Amino acid sequence: MKDLFRGELVRFTLEEPEPSAKAQVCWQRDTEFHRLIDGDPALLNSEKKIKEWIEKQVETGFEPDRYYFSVRTLAEEKYIGFLGLWVDLIHSEAWVGLGIGEREFWSKGYGTDMMKLCLQYAFSELCVARVSLGLHEYNPRALRSYEKCGFRLEGRTRKDGMREGKRHDTLWMGILREEWLGLDKGVGVVE
Amino acid sequence: MKDIFAGKLVRLSAFDPEEMSKAFARWNLNSEYQRLLNLSPHRMQSAKSNLKWMEEEVGEMSPASYFFSIRTLVEDKLIGELGLDVVSWPGRDAFVGLGIGETEYWSKGYGTDVMNVLLHFAFAEINLRRVTLSVFEYNPRAIRSYEKAGFRHEGRTRKVLNKEGQRWDVLYMGILREEWMGLDIPFQGG
Repeated sequence: MKDLFRGELVRFTLEEPEPSAKAQVCWQRDTEFHRLIDGDPALLNSEKKIKEWIEKQVETGFEPDRYYFSVRTLAEEKYIGFLGLWVDLIHSEAWVGLGIGEREFWSKGYGTDMMKLCLQYAFSELCVARVSLGLHEYNPRALRSYEKCGFRLEGRTRKDGMREGKRHDTLWMGILREEWLGLDKGVGVVE
Repeated sequence: MKDIFAGKLVRLSAFDPEEMSKAFARWNLNSEYQRLLNLSPHRMQSAKSNLKWMEEEVGEMSPASYFFSIRTLVEDKLIGELGLDVVSWPGRDAFVGLGIGETEYWSKGYGTDVMNVLLHFAFAEINLRRVTLSVFEYNPRAIRSYEKAGFRHEGRTRKVLNKEGQRWDVLYMGILREEWMGLDIPFQGG
């Protein structure tokens, strides 16, 4: 019986609000990280405010349309990031967003492992019909990772974001349940 | 699709807690109505306590929970109520319950019409895969109506009802999306 919450490099957990807020307060000062995951302008929130926000998320922990996980490495149990799923229950579609706040874990397959674990959860446990995501044009590392997981590039909204005086596109990707079922889940490479 | 909430005899309408709480109080004076619908012992509640319950428990419609008034098309008369509650999202299964409180509308096809409207909503709008209901062994009128609407018998919990000195079963019926699509229902896609 496979552990749904355990990948090859990471596992999903639920962090206590306090250590989670402490980590996020540091990550929010990493502007490069912030710009990769978010469209909102870089903002500073106090550790207290972040902790309250997390506590509120955890409180409403039974909503069937929202799932939030913290991510720790298997090797050292280090808390490196988070993953969220928002489900449109009527249309059986889930949106995923993830972030790795600890930079030394970038470009090492951690994101791909997180996403594969997420897709397993979304398709075999939540039983959604598709998973969608958006990413910034200037995040090719994420694009490659998501392609490895089986996502297909479906479109782009042109120049809908602006940073450092330049406009950039948002890319939209999706993977259907039948496509995920057809993947060789060990390799995860799709044409 | 002209109006997904309208059938041939009835329409589903938004429920108004004030109106419904008064109707509930009146319908529940009829112990025969309660006998067919309620697992719990018959009792009466004031319109005021019904209203409180409705506002607190029934609440807002959400992807998981729907509650409707049943009104006749001809006179727009409030004759009953219907609820649909999603039991499982991965399974896309919901539980339906309905009651026609105005007894002069029994045995005239109103219940079957309501259920046809509900099933179309459930399968074509909420995209469910199955709908479940329970019905009492001693309610053959409802059992026939549900069979006409396409429900199949799936099981029963034995002797769970204790009424009038006798024990009765509760029957469980269900209909799958693919079964519903195979039925010849007039307003499908119309």
